[in-house]
Amino acid sequence: MSEPASETIRLTIDGVEVAVPKGTTVLKAAETAGIVVPHYCYHPGIPTRPAQCRMCLVEIEGQPKLQPSCVMTAGDGMNVVTQSEAAREARRSVIEFLLLNHPVDCPICDAAGQCMLQDYAYETGQLESRFQEAKLVLGRDRIADDILYFADRCILCTRCVRFMRDVAGDEALIVAQRGHKAYIDTFPGKDLDNEFRGNIVDVCPVGALVHEDFLFKARAWDMDSAPGVCPGCSNGCNIEIGAKENQVVRIKPRYNAEVNSYWMCDYGRKHLVMANRGARIDLPLIRRNGELEAVHWGEALTWLSERMPEGDGVAVVSPFESTESIAAFRALLARIGISGGGYRLARGDEAQLAGFPKLKLRAERAPNATAAELFGFREVESLPSIAAGATVIVAGDRLDDLPADFAGDAGFFAYLGSHLSEAARNADVILPITTFLEMEGTFINHEGRLQRFRQALVPPGVARPAWMVIRRLLSLLGDGADVLEAEAAFERAATETPGLAGIAWSAIGPKGVLVRTDGAAAPSAR
Amino acid sequence: MPGSVKIVVRPESSASYVRAITKGLGITLKHLLEPNKATQQYPDEKWDLSPRLRGTHRMATHEDGRAKCVGCGLCPTVCPVNCIKLIPAEDENGERYAAVYEIDEFRCIFCGFCQEVCPVEAIHLGVHYENAEYSRERWIYDLERLTELDHPFTALWDPFDPASE
Repeated sequence: MSEPASETIRLTIDGVEVAVPKGTTVLKAAETAGIVVPHYCYHPGIPTRPAQCRMCLVEIEGQPKLQPSCVMTAGDGMNVVTQSEAAREARRSVIEFLLLNHPVDCPICDAAGQCMLQDYAYETGQLESRFQEAKLVLGRDRIADDILYFADRCILCTRCVRFMRDVAGDEALIVAQRGHKAYIDTFPGKDLDNEFRGNIVDVCPVGALVHEDFLFKARAWDMDSAPGVCPGCSNGCNIEIGAKENQVVRIKPRYNAEVNSYWMCDYGRKHLVMANRGARIDLPLIRRNGELEAVHWGEALTWLSERMPEGDGVAVVSPFESTESIAAFRALLARIGISGGGYRLARGDEAQLAGFPKLKLRAERAPNATAAELFGFREVESLPSIAAGATVIVAGDRLDDLPADFAGDAGFFAYLGSHLSEAARNADVILPITTFLEMEGTFINHEGRLQRFRQALVPPGVARPAWMVIRRLLSLLGDGADVLEAEAAFERAATETPGLAGIAWSAIGPKGVLVRTDGAAAPSAR
Repeated sequence: MPGSVKIVVRPESSASYVRAITKGLGITLKHLLEPNKATQQYPDEKWDLSPRLRGTHRMATHEDGRAKCVGCGLCPTVCPVNCIKLIPAEDENGERYAAVYEIDEFRCIFCGFCQEVCPVEAIHLGVHYENAEYSRERWIYDLERLTELDHPFTALWDPFDPASE
């Protein structure tokens, strides 16, 4: 393993010749050739490889016995056969043993459709069990506050046990009992209360571990999924948002070697499932004769552009807004002559994942404070008291902790938001904007990594992304053209700050791009 | 030459309707005397239905009256016209069940896929076709109504026993 990575070896897998760095396992080498060797206990994110499921056995020419490919180091000139008669027979036997005590309750199992046991059993094609005895029934258990364990479905791959021990660094799970009575349990006297425990549900190859928030919620094939970025904190973990009937039902981490590996924290999961709650604003509202009145977009924006006051005032932006929206907001403030501007940021306890230093639940509980800083907004503890007759413009901030008479005697109060709080009702104009779930855009995480997220839900009513609304308003004020696509919104934003200059929308790959947040120009590469 | 019409003058005897009426009534009289066997007195006299007729759905129940449905979601998945609405939930014993189960019989095309796909033999089509209603809403059968129906289940053809045809 100590050889330099540049040294490559050549081997043949199922007749395909592959060249891999020395030290690669046979399973990984097969992956590079596009051959998937079935496996349960091996997980790329968990360092320990006990080779105990015996599912990845392959035949290697010249070796008398089948070898577990997840731990077998590839050798130069090796000839590996994954689909030989002996290897297939071994896999068939493993599946048969796993199914002896398995309840085969796929119709009510939440993993059905994305279950490795189901997939491989189907592939192996053994329809009937030769098992004559009664199946052992172990029942189910609440293994953590929010995680259920169905012992009957468990195949004892110990991925969850090893995740907690080797990645989370918290030895909370063990295999209790032995043989066919073995099951996963919490260590005696310990609770599974780790901040990263939700990942054991994701690593479970079958439906033995189920998150209670997802229990019986949706079948795997019912969900629409969209790649997103977690808004829980400034770490910017990559996530897969599973939505059913325009509601977020499941969050899964998405692999990004630079940010979160295969993992995410439980705070982020909880935070996003709550995204479904709250009353949304779905129509533009303007104040006429002291009453808020619903109007259509054109009327609201014309009304606003005619009354937009010039001169200084108070501006508040939310660090949950996308980079494009924050940039557009800054452009609007510059147009009407408001300098400065602030954002409020909630803070909480940090939590570090021991096995992956870059993944940490950060204290700053918002995804895009870096972008707010980049566009000249500064963090404020609380909003300044609003002087009578002052101009107030709020973008995104929900204002839900403020008193109902907030900005009551302001000269002009414009509110762009997704949710209507008591304080926001005082506004002279209320424009419905989307949350990040309902739009495409980018976030910049704590280290300056610009990452794209995609639209997961359909926005309510006529809500539009904030950048679209603000750029339209600016064009009515005689400042630039309309912007109708996220790509154009980003490119417009990139011209407005040196930090994003030169970054093309298409160049923001799956790993994101590092941007300069110190005001200097962006690096041209990457 | 345009506008020229040929006028045929028929004799009185062939223009009269009396002869045609008499002929028609004669046929009626003939049918009265020897009834046509093809006519069925429908509401009083019902058809002999095939056991494989695919008609109104019915939900099978356990002995205690609970629906057999476990809320797996396969029938709304397989339904080609999306006429089944299912919202699964957890009951007091922690089991999965159908909290909402509705079939829109108006939209249904009675293909029988739901019955074929059901892993617990809960939803069935039935040998029953008389389901006229006064409103469209009444055509949406909820779980309670589906379990209360008592017509016979549709028999499935067994592919391993072609003779059952």
